[in-house]
Amino acid sequence: MVQDTRLIELKGVCKNFGDTQVLRDVDLYIRKCEFITLLGPSGCGKTTLLRIIGGFEMPSSGEVLFEGKDMTGIPPYKRRINTVFQKYALFGHLNVFDNIAFGLNLKTPEQMGVKTKKEKKEEIARRVHRMLKLVKMEGYEKRSIDALSGGQQQRIAIARALVNEPEVLLLDEPLGALDLKLRKEMQLELKAMQQQLGITFIYVTHDQEEALTMSDTIAVINGGRIQQIDNPKRIYDEPVNAFVADFIGESNIVDGVMLEDDLVKFSGVEFQCVDEGFDTNEPVDVVIRPEDIMIVGEDVGMLTGTVQSVIFKGVHYEMMVESGERTWKVHSTTMQPVGTSVGMTIVPYNIHIMRKATTADAVPVQDKTNKEA
Amino acid sequence: MKRSWYATPYALWMLLFAVVPLLFVCWYAFTTPEGAFTLSNFQEFVKPRYLGVIVRSLKLAVYCTVLCLLIGYPTAYFLAGRDFNHAQSLVVLILLPMWMNLLLRTYAMMTLLDDNGVLNAALTALGLGKITVIGTEGAVVLGLVYNYLPFMVLPIYTVLKKMDYSVIEAAEDLGCNPIRVITRVVIPMSVPGIVSGITMVFMPAVTSFAISTLLSNGKIRLAGDLIDYIFNQSSNPTRWNIGSSFSLIMLVLILISIGFLRKVDPDNEGGGMW
Repeated sequence: MVQDTRLIELKGVCKNFGDTQVLRDVDLYIRKCEFITLLGPSGCGKTTLLRIIGGFEMPSSGEVLFEGKDMTGIPPYKRRINTVFQKYALFGHLNVFDNIAFGLNLKTPEQMGVKTKKEKKEEIARRVHRMLKLVKMEGYEKRSIDALSGGQQQRIAIARALVNEPEVLLLDEPLGALDLKLRKEMQLELKAMQQQLGITFIYVTHDQEEALTMSDTIAVINGGRIQQIDNPKRIYDEPVNAFVADFIGESNIVDGVMLEDDLVKFSGVEFQCVDEGFDTNEPVDVVIRPEDIMIVGEDVGMLTGTVQSVIFKGVHYEMMVESGERTWKVHSTTMQPVGTSVGMTIVPYNIHIMRKATTADAVPVQDKTNKEA
Repeated sequence: MKRSWYATPYALWMLLFAVVPLLFVCWYAFTTPEGAFTLSNFQEFVKPRYLGVIVRSLKLAVYCTVLCLLIGYPTAYFLAGRDFNHAQSLVVLILLPMWMNLLLRTYAMMTLLDDNGVLNAALTALGLGKITVIGTEGAVVLGLVYNYLPFMVLPIYTVLKKMDYSVIEAAEDLGCNPIRVITRVVIPMSVPGIVSGITMVFMPAVTSFAISTLLSNGKIRLAGDLIDYIFNQSSNPTRWNIGSSFSLIMLVLILISIGFLRKVDPDNEGGGMW
């Protein structure tokens, strides 16, 4: 269970590489036992943020606190943090056992809670074995790293980090190289391990589905700024701006005008909605998920259009419906043939209204009350 | 045309200038000047004055290899580092001496180290007095290291350059301080390059010739010089036979040392030639 203690806190962290600003004024805290995902497109700064937490990069300004103590400038080997690297970074000159035992071998017997070297050796063997069991790789002790598949190397990389019993585990797109089926399996296993061990996981990915599946909290990052921090459900249902809406799941984003509270006009039609507090006639972004548009008879639809294309996606059909000057993406389990004239309706609470054009400047405040976790 | 045909020129070349001569060497080594089979040529080898030369060759070659490793490894490590981005130009600088003929380089060294050379002139100017370098084993080792150092740096540099930097970060992450990163990960993972470097320095060093004679005023003879000397002894009727047997012995010694090294790097990952 996620606890309320703040384990790691980032305050006003900026990072520049030469003239490029990679992170801008990032404020973020991570609680004990939390599974937090840093989600964003490539080049958004999420890996840099992870590397700053791991100690591999120093922030250009701002500070990183660990249990309230500043740890800026403390090298990685002195942090109670371990990392699962993107390309695993296993030691090719060691076998599976010695790879996992690597971190423990560096410790003194006292640090391992035993007295003699012999006891340390036994303790290491015991812990390595327990890890191999956890990652379902028993019996692979003597194998060479080169003889393992990508998925197996991944498991060894996780075991090698977890065996040190870190307070925090950093994972840098660890499943990126695996095929879809294996990736889904590992997602569930990672989540189960995290809950079983009670360790804080900080996970970096560009895969929104992965983030939604595993996380207690998601921080959506773009252009070096945190766009939104929230639990997965709220990130999906209540995106704070058009970027988040577009990045998480699929969406139709259209220009609209807020006529009054709970009434928005777009595509020349007035719609009831559930958003308040906008100025009269304020231009807004309207976000509508493809699955929230219902296909109805042409005569009863709020919008009407013609089906331009149909793609079968497995669970649903994806249809592009041309209406006036724009094309709507619609997901439906029933198929309408190309060329059919259809009506579309949207219920008020599925219309998401967002303020315009503040995407790059928005620095959201992490609001604890938002989190269910 | 089958692909293997493309190697024909090389195969012919090797046949004519390596295999056939080697067969001649074998023939001479196991026969008397009259052409009868004998092993007596090899008995010459155990005579102290010859055995001493072989032992000295091996000893100086080992010194040279160790020195090359001690100087070459840190150099290669520095060149392969990711925050050093002039690597190409420095690699060229290291290779630069190799563009010059070995003998020319050694003659230059003679001038530098000579009793009345640049080194002693500098020492005298500083009021430190002269030292004799030429003629000592140290001078020979210096000459060997000078000539063979690039062969140590390059294979190690290649292996280190290929090494994934995240492996070093992983070691830090798992608790290695900067020294342990080097002893526990960098060096073990560069063993193939080290093996390659050792082979490429030790082999030419042990059979080197001319360098030792030049830098010792003919006082120190190594195996290569000895073989040269035997072949050019005009008075001895068995000179070709004894010379050939010595060449074979050197060949076997080198094969044995390569065999040892291959045990350390069984997969031959160093990209080495052996």
